[in-house]
Amino acid sequence: MTLPDDSQKAIDDYLAALRRQLRDLMEEDMNDIVEEIRAHILDKSTAGADGAQVEQTLAALGAPRDLAARYCTEEMMRRAEAHRSGTQKARIAGRWTVRILAGLVVVIVSAVGYFVGGVLVTAGVVKVMWPRGTGLWQTMNSDGTVMSYGLSGGSGNTPPSNTAHDILGWWLLPIGFILGPAIIYGTFWLGRWTVRMVWPARKKFNYAAAEPQTDI
Amino acid sequence: MDEKRVLNPDSADKWEVQLRKGSLELAILAALWGGRLYGLEILRHLEGGSDLVVSEGTVYPLLTRLRTLGLVESEWVESDSGHPRKYYSLTAAGRERALEMGRTWARFAASLNHLLTPLNGAVKKEKP
Repeated sequence: MTLPDDSQKAIDDYLAALRRQLRDLMEEDMNDIVEEIRAHILDKSTAGADGAQVEQTLAALGAPRDLAARYCTEEMMRRAEAHRSGTQKARIAGRWTVRILAGLVVVIVSAVGYFVGGVLVTAGVVKVMWPRGTGLWQTMNSDGTVMSYGLSGGSGNTPPSNTAHDILGWWLLPIGFILGPAIIYGTFWLGRWTVRMVWPARKKFNYAAAEPQTDI
Repeated sequence: MDEKRVLNPDSADKWEVQLRKGSLELAILAALWGGRLYGLEILRHLEGGSDLVVSEGTVYPLLTRLRTLGLVESEWVESDSGHPRKYYSLTAAGRERALEMGRTWARFAASLNHLLTPLNGAVKKEKP
């Protein structure tokens, strides 16, 4: 029997996703599982022989991630650890290296993001309280060249020096109250996304402790 | 203060699901008692002979688990449908386990039925 192209593609995509989710198991177990699920889908599809039947079968099996989680029991993981090949060990070591590096990058980027966002929000608040003493100051030398830039606030509501010129003025308010929170929010979501991508939640499936709704 | 405890409406369903789940392993071992079957045949056997409401995504991982526990063994067999099928059969340990579970189940069901005697009249009345 030949399935329509898009049904065949749906099956291949499903099985490829399942294989990816089973990558921590023994290669022999992984192939066995994927082939058995393929046989099941094909067996069920012979009844309807149309796209709807394939779609229904895939839906009944559940998402590849959930199905794979049911296979990743402690017994299967122990079996995989005992039979791991050199290539698999290297691949796992590589994955951990990427995770650790990504973790470090997330920590550094988050620290910078939260700090910059926090400084901007604080600058906005201080600008409201001491408008004349708060700003992004450009200090000039006597020959007209720029000596330095600095963000400061307070100081008795007066500019830090006579030569200092506030280049932002009231623009500090939208920057502080819109850009600041946006940077904090963006940093939070970037961190969360990266952690979810690199550290996917995978736990060994426990039949005894499984929530009933998610199991049968 | 006298605090009335209200039963969560979901907990009755959860209990039923747990009951079905707990009996699925025995039902699969019993399905294989008569000889080897492949996954879909086991599913159809369970669906046809009971109201277990078995999900496909549960039975296959459970079969794999029973295999790693040494209760069933599997072999790939070529079929007329154009693709091989994985057949499962009970091992000696699986037959022994099925018998043991079957006995436990029968004992449990008998003692629970005995305990349910006071409800019998009410349950029968509810039946159409």
